[in-house]
Amino acid sequence: MSALLLDGPAARRRRIASVIRRDFFALRRDPPRMVDMAFWPTAELVLWGLVSLYLQQNKVHIAVAMLLGAVLLWQVLHRAQGEVTFGFLFDVWSRNLLNVFVSPLSTLEYIAGLLLASVVKVAVTIGVMSVLAFTFYGFGLLTIGPGLLPFMAVLMVMGWALGVVAIACVIRFGQSAQVIAFILVFVFQPFAAVFYPLSVLPGPARAIAALVPASHVFEGMRSVLAGGGVSWSGLAVAALLDLVYVAGALAFLLYSLRYARLKGKLSRFGS
Amino acid sequence: MTVLEAVSLTKRFGPVTAVDGVSFSVGEGEIVGLLGPNGAGKTTTLHMVLGLTTPDTGTVRMFGRDLAKHRTWALSRVNFAASYVSLPWVLRVDEILDVFAHMYGLRHPHRRVVEVTEMLELGELRDQRYGQLSSGQQTRVQLAKALLNEPGLLVLDEPTANLDPDVGDRIRELLLREAHRTGRAMLITSHNMPEVERMCSRIHFVSGGQIVATGSAVELAGAYGVDDLEAVFLRVARG
Repeated sequence: MSALLLDGPAARRRRIASVIRRDFFALRRDPPRMVDMAFWPTAELVLWGLVSLYLQQNKVHIAVAMLLGAVLLWQVLHRAQGEVTFGFLFDVWSRNLLNVFVSPLSTLEYIAGLLLASVVKVAVTIGVMSVLAFTFYGFGLLTIGPGLLPFMAVLMVMGWALGVVAIACVIRFGQSAQVIAFILVFVFQPFAAVFYPLSVLPGPARAIAALVPASHVFEGMRSVLAGGGVSWSGLAVAALLDLVYVAGALAFLLYSLRYARLKGKLSRFGS
Repeated sequence: MTVLEAVSLTKRFGPVTAVDGVSFSVGEGEIVGLLGPNGAGKTTTLHMVLGLTTPDTGTVRMFGRDLAKHRTWALSRVNFAASYVSLPWVLRVDEILDVFAHMYGLRHPHRRVVEVTEMLELGELRDQRYGQLSSGQQTRVQLAKALLNEPGLLVLDEPTANLDPDVGDRIRELLLREAHRTGRAMLITSHNMPEVERMCSRIHFVSGGQIVATGSAVELAGAYGVDDLEAVFLRVARG
């Protein structure tokens, strides 16, 4: 048996690779999903780009760059959550989840595989959108400056945390909870202050927004595009909040799995 | 050597006791059947053995180790197929086997995929999508997946349900041939009595969540004073 099987870290890496391979095989065989990676973000980019041009032509004091930057960075968060959750839902919809859960793949390895696969897919989406934003509107993502990569990292990690929460909800409450996968990120959108400054939010909403990592990123992005520097302290707060989100999401996932195993709900994903 | 040891497994879902103090073992090279009417607790028992469902009381030991404490180690040495579980429909056969060969941490995944593809005569199907295959072909792919890691214990929940007699017979032949070649243990549930008579050296009849009779097909028929396993099944199912 040991001649056939790897063990230790090598086995762990191979198991994580299995999730990534599965994700990319599925993507290759599913052209609508491939189109989906670029179509909706592009549609949103075109829509907001035109809106911002119209506002500018009518002397409304708003920077095209701020809206397009917001659209692009929002996609990092939105797609990171979506790619992680839909990677899991692919196994649910194809009635493959029991095969995954009776394999030696651990929960954390499974999640790690989904997260790593999402990095590539989000990078492709943002790459396509950046080229289009530059071609159509002359907006270069690099204008955001040295804060760009940390901004994207914070949003990606927040997206991952929301993705894991959506997975945990489906495991805990059953397949009917999959609607959460589609709406969860939009629950956070008003508090993330994607398209407007935090100052326009009423007091209580502003207090909630302070606890949303994305709000610090979008506020920071607007500050940079308005000519200010990167607020590293704001980024540090966002990164700390991300850690709290990820820890909470993983704790909820492990609780949901324990609950589902105890109540026999995991078995129902096979039927 | 004892491959699987289930001790006093009990599982309640609300007021219903699905499994009530079930104990059994499976030795190396042994093929054990769990029989019983629908709702008897067979699948719940299998799912506790595989770690999908946590027992309220009782323990599962695989290859001498506690499943709860050595899950990854134990599940590397076990595999599973069931008529109610599917595989990703959009993936090709060779892609599915590649994914699971990696998932089980095989040292040489590509070599092993080629071996099981030949063993299950899947060569001509390897570049076809799973969703395009017939039921019999899908079952063969599921079994190929289940044999990838040369499991010491193969757990099969109604493996030949939905198959025509010819395909069902070929699958049984293959499983028996593989079991004899490798000394593999198997734990099987089935409603196909001839299948169980042919494959299982020991049978546990489950009813109301409890094991109510144990023995070979001949021993059970003798104990109940009937001709075959089907008659035993009817006696047990009808109380």
